[in-house]
Amino acid sequence: MLKAGNAQAMATITIDNRQYEVDDGQNLLSACLSLKKNLPYFCWHPALGSVGACRQCAVVLFKDADDQRGTLVMSCMTPVKDGAIYSIDAPTAQDFRAGIIENLMTNHPHDCPVCEEGGECHLQDMTLMSGHTQRRFQGRKRTHNNQYLGPFINHEMNRCITCYRCVRFYRDHAGGTDLQALGRNHQVYFGRQEDGLLDNGFSGNLVEVCPTGVFTDKTYSRHYVRKWDLQTAPSVCEHCAVGCNTAPGARRDGKGDPRQLRRVTNLFHRQINGYFLCDRGRFGYEYANSAARIYTPQAALTQPLIQTTAGSAKVHQSLSPADAVARLAVTIAQMRSGNRRVIGIGSSRSSLENNFALQTLVGREHFYAGLDERSLALLKLVDRIQRDPRVHSPGTPEIERADMVIVLGEDIADTAPRIALAVRQAARSAQIARAGELKIPAWQDDSVRQLTGIRTPLLVASAERTDLDDIASCRVRAAPEQMVALADVLAQALTAESGEIHAPDIAGLDTGEFTALVEQLKQARHPVIVSGCGLQSQELLQAAARLAFAVAGHKEANHRQTDSREARAALYLACPEANSLGLAQLCDARQNLNQLHRERQSEHTPQPTTLLVMEADLYRQLPASVADQLCAGVDEIIQLEIVHNRTSARADLILPAAATPEYEGTLVNSGGLAQRHYAVYEGSGWIQASWRWLADAAAASGELAGAELSGDEETHARLQSLARWRHVTQLSVALAESYPELAPLAELGPDWDQTIEGQKTARQPHRYSGRTAIQAERQVAEYKPLPDDDAPMAFSMEGIQFACQSPLQANNWAPGWNSNQAIHCYQPKPGAARLGHSSGQPLARKAVVFHSDSAAGDAARPTADPSDGFRILPLYRMFGSGELSNYAGAIASVTEEPFAVFHPQDLELLSLTAGQQIAITESGDRWQLLAKVSDTIPRHCIGVSTGFTQMASIPGAYIEREQIAPGDA
Amino acid sequence: MISILRSLWLVFRHLFTRRVTVEYPEEMPYLAPRYRGRIVLTRDPDGDERCVACNLCAVACPPDCISLQKMEDADGRWRPEFFRINFSRCIMCGLCEDACPTYAIQLTPDFEMCEYDRQNMVYEKEDLLINGPGKYHEYSFYRHAGKTVSGKAKGEAAGEAKPVNVKSLNL
Ligand code: SF4
Ligand code: SF4
Ligand code: SF4
Ligand code: SF4
Ligand code: FES
Repeated sequence: MLKAGNAQAMATITIDNRQYEVDDGQNLLSACLSLKKNLPYFCWHPALGSVGACRQCAVVLFKDADDQRGTLVMSCMTPVKDGAIYSIDAPTAQDFRAGIIENLMTNHPHDCPVCEEGGECHLQDMTLMSGHTQRRFQGRKRTHNNQYLGPFINHEMNRCITCYRCVRFYRDHAGGTDLQALGRNHQVYFGRQEDGLLDNGFSGNLVEVCPTGVFTDKTYSRHYVRKWDLQTAPSVCEHCAVGCNTAPGARRDGKGDPRQLRRVTNLFHRQINGYFLCDRGRFGYEYANSAARIYTPQAALTQPLIQTTAGSAKVHQSLSPADAVARLAVTIAQMRSGNRRVIGIGSSRSSLENNFALQTLVGREHFYAGLDERSLALLKLVDRIQRDPRVHSPGTPEIERADMVIVLGEDIADTAPRIALAVRQAARSAQIARAGELKIPAWQDDSVRQLTGIRTPLLVASAERTDLDDIASCRVRAAPEQMVALADVLAQALTAESGEIHAPDIAGLDTGEFTALVEQLKQARHPVIVSGCGLQSQELLQAAARLAFAVAGHKEANHRQTDSREARAALYLACPEANSLGLAQLCDARQNLNQLHRERQSEHTPQPTTLLVMEADLYRQLPASVADQLCAGVDEIIQLEIVHNRTSARADLILPAAATPEYEGTLVNSGGLAQRHYAVYEGSGWIQASWRWLADAAAASGELAGAELSGDEETHARLQSLARWRHVTQLSVALAESYPELAPLAELGPDWDQTIEGQKTARQPHRYSGRTAIQAERQVAEYKPLPDDDAPMAFSMEGIQFACQSPLQANNWAPGWNSNQAIHCYQPKPGAARLGHSSGQPLARKAVVFHSDSAAGDAARPTADPSDGFRILPLYRMFGSGELSNYAGAIASVTEEPFAVFHPQDLELLSLTAGQQIAITESGDRWQLLAKVSDTIPRHCIGVSTGFTQMASIPGAYIEREQIAPGDA
Repeated sequence: MISILRSLWLVFRHLFTRRVTVEYPEEMPYLAPRYRGRIVLTRDPDGDERCVACNLCAVACPPDCISLQKMEDADGRWRPEFFRINFSRCIMCGLCEDACPTYAIQLTPDFEMCEYDRQNMVYEKEDLLINGPGKYHEYSFYRHAGKTVSGKAKGEAAGEAKPVNVKSLNL
C-alpha cells in the first residue's frame, strides 16, 4: 500500500542457505512473509509500515559467506539487499525472539479462555511460533484499569504488549485524536484521557489491528463464538456505495434463536478496502438481527374494525410461505389475464438479480426505481459522466498515491467513509514522495514522518465542517453554487493559455490561496477529484466533471502521458447506496417515484392496481403526503422486505427478504465495479432472496386456472422465464444478455456447479465444532447440510479450505496463523491483491463523450434572498444516515437526534436558539429537529440531517421562512 | 498340525488361569477415579460454575458432540448459556477434559448410560452440572484470570500487582 513505483527490481537473497528472488525495495520481514516463512512480528503492519518497536522480528545478518557469527537485525527495519545472507533459524535469532516474547508475556493476564481474541490471536500464534510455552517469571504482574470506550469496542488493557499498532493506526493512519499512549516505562497505557466513545469512524479496525485482546468487538461478544465456529463467505458491504469486501461470520444458534449473524470483519480487497473497514460497515450488520426483522410472510388482517383503529398502518398476521406464494400468484395471474396492473418498485440496496427478477415480472414499462426524481436523476448523471472516456474512477491505492485531491461538496467521511480514509493517506503522498527522493523507503514509517511540513495539496470544499478539515491545505465552506463556480474557475485556469483568472467570490478563499490552488493543480500529475450525490446538486456533479475533463486535457497537453489510460482524469463520484449505479442501469431517469405518483394522479383507470415494492421504503424517498397518496391510490400493496418500515406497515402482504449476507447477488459500487456477494448463512425462518419469492409466485401463477387463456404473449414468455430460474447465476446471465452494460455479469464468478477438482468450497472452517450436538436438542440425528443452488459452496466443513485454491474462500486462516494476519499467506506479497481472488468486474459501459447540460455561468443560481427563504443543505452522518445500519442496536445507541444547523446570524434572524427543538414544515410534512449553531455553515443555508430514521425523507431544496418555527420540546 | 496342537494346548491351559471378567451387574468392578466415563460439569470451591464457555472442549472433541454458547453474566463472568453433549456420539476419549483450562469438564467412572431412545442421550447443562469440584478440589479459574468479575477487581488476582495509576509519574 505504501509502495511507490510499478516496475519492480528484483534482489537475490539467501535465507538459511537457500537462495530466493524477491522484490527489491521492501523490508526483509515483508520479503520473508512473501516467501511464506514463519517469522514472528508484532508492530509491523503492511499498511502502517515499520517502526521497529517490538523487537520480535529479529533475524541474523551475515557480512559474507565466511561470517559465522553475524549480527542481529530487526527484519522489519532492514531493506533487502541483493546478495545479502540472512538466517531466521540461527540459534542467536531464535533465542533472542524467545526472550522477547517471554518478556512481553511476563505481565500478560491468565485470560485466554475468557478473551474474545482467543483462537484468532496474533499473540497466541507468535508465542507458539517462538516456542515460549512455559512461564518462568515469578514476579507480580503489572495491571491496568480498563476504560469504557462506547458500545462498539471493549477495552482490556492488561492484555497489551505495547506494540503501538493501535495508536499508529488510529492517529497516524485514521487521523483520530482521542486515543493515546499514556504513562511511561513498562506501564504505558493505550486509551483515552477519560472514558467515552472513541470518536473516529474507523475505530472498529482496532479490533483487527491490535494483535492481542485489548480491543475486541463488543457487539460480537454479546453473541460470541470462536472464529473456528464461524461459517463465512465473501460478501460486500451493503451500507454505502464504496463496495468494501467483507467476511461476515455466522453460526446457527443451538437454541433456535433466529439471529445467526455474529460479526463482520474485513476481507482484503486491494482496489477497495485494503485492510480496513469503517464502523458503519463493521457494526451495521446488527440490522439483520434487529427486532424489526421480518422472518415470516405476513398478511394484513382485513376486518374493518381493526383497520379503522389502526389508522393507515395495518395489523399483520403470519401466514405460511405456501399461502403467501399463492396469494402473490393470484395477483400475478390477474396481471397475466390483463385484469390487474402490477407496478414493481425496485431497490438501490438490493442486488441486480433481485431487481431484474422484479422487472421481468412486471415488465420494463411497469418497473420503477424506488427513488425519488432527484435521486435517480443524480444517479443517471453520475452514470453518464463515468461513461466519458476522459475520466475514470480511481481505486483506493490510486487515491492514496494522488499528488493532489479536490473534494467538491461531498462529505465523504460520512457518505463514503473508506474513500475518506484513502484521501487521508493521499495527504501524505507528498511526504512519501519526498522521502523517496531522499532514498528513504515508504515503509520506514517513522523516518518518513520526520519530514514534517510537506503536505499534499488537498482542497476540501464542503457545506459544513468535515472530518477531513484537519488535513486540508485549503478549506472552503460554501453553498453548492459557489462550489460550482470554484470548480469552473479552476477548470478555466487549467485550460486558459493566459489571461487573468479571478478567484470566485467565496468567503474565506483569498486570492493568494486561490492562485496557489491553480498552481498546484497545474503541477499535479495524478490529481484526484472527488464529489458525489450527497448535496443533491446536478450542477455540482457537472462542475466536477468539467473540472475533471480540464484536468485530463491538461495532463495530455503538458505531461505528455503516452498511455491514454494515464491521461484520463481520476474522478470519484460517490453514490448513496450499495447498488445505486446498478439500479441506474436498469431504468431510465423517468422511472422514478415522483413520476409514478404523477401518472397515478392523472389517470383514472378502473383497473385494479398492485404496488409490488421490493426492499424499498417509499416513505424514505417521498414526503409522507406523497407516499400516502401513492399508497392510497392502489388497492393492493405487496412488499418484499428485510426489516419493518413505514411502507411495510401499510402492506397487505409482506414477504421476508434475505439480507445481503443471506443470499447471492451482484452489487455495483460507485466506481462501476460489479461485485458478487455470496450467501454466508441460510437465513432463519422463511427468509429467502426476493427473486426466489417472485420466481415461486410466477411458477404458481402459471398453474392457476385460466391464467394462460388470456393476456398477451410477451407477458407469458417473461413469466415463464422467471418461473424457470433456479440459480441466481442464470439471472446474471439473462441480465448480461438484456443489458450490454451488464455483460460482464456472465463472467463474474463460478456457476453453482463449477466445482474445483470436484470439490465445493467449504463455508465452515475445518475445526468447526459442535456439528453433532448443536441441533441435538430438537433432533439427535444430524441434519443434512442445505444445498446451495447458487454457488459451488457447501454449508458445511466439507470441501476446499484454503483461500489460495478457491476465490470463494473467505476464512482467513493458514496453519500457524490463526489470526487475521494469515492474509499474507494468500497474497503474493503483503499488501498485494489476493491470490486466486476474482471479485469484481467493471461494467461494460460504452464510452460516450459527456456534454454538460448547462454552460458554466448558468449553473450558478443566486443564493436565496434571506427575506423569503433558506437553502436546505443535506448533511450526513456515518451513524444515522444509513437506512439499514440505523436498525443496528449499537449504532442506533450513538446516533444523534435529527438536527438542523444554522449560521448564528440566521438563528438570530429567525429568533431561535441553539439546543431548541424546531419544526420545519413542507408540503404537509413536519420535521421535528434540534437546532444547532455553526459558524462554518454558509449564510442563508440550513444543514439538515439526512437519512435519519425519524425523519425519513428530507425537506426540499428551498424552505420559506414561515415554515421554520419553534417545535414542541 | 503342530500349530493346531499348540493352540489346543494354549486354550486348555487357560482353563486354569484366574478369571478377569466379573458377573456384572451383580458384581461391580473397581473403576479408578480417572476412568473415562460419563461427563460432568463441575463447580469451583466457591460453588460457582467452573465452565467459562471458552469452547476449547468443543473444538477438541473428535466427533464434535459438544456445543455451547457463551454469555456474560452481570457479575462479569463468562458462562455457557447452554451446554450440550450428545452422548450418543461421544467416544469417551477425554480430550475435552484435557483441553479444559478450568477443570470444569471432567469424565467420571460412570459408564452406565443406556437408553432406548437416542434422543435421551442428549444432555443439557442442567443434566451435566454437579454440585462439587470433582477431581480437582482447589482450582478456581477466576482467582487467576486477569478479567474483572464481581468480588475481584483489577490487581486482586493471584500474582497481580495493584493497578497502575497512569496519571502518576510512575518512576
Ligand atoms: S493495545 Fe494492542 S495494538 Fe495497542 S499497543 Fe497494546 S497490544 Fe499493541
Ligand atoms: S466505507 Fe461503505 S462499503 Fe466500506 S465498510 Fe464503510 S459503509 Fe461499508
Ligand atoms: S470425551 Fe471425547 S468424544 Fe466425548 S465429549 Fe469429550 S472430547 Fe468429545
Ligand atoms: S473447555 Fe472447560 S471451560 Fe471451556 S467451555 Fe469447555 S468446559 Fe467450559
Ligand atoms: S515487527 Fe519488527 S520490530 Fe516489531
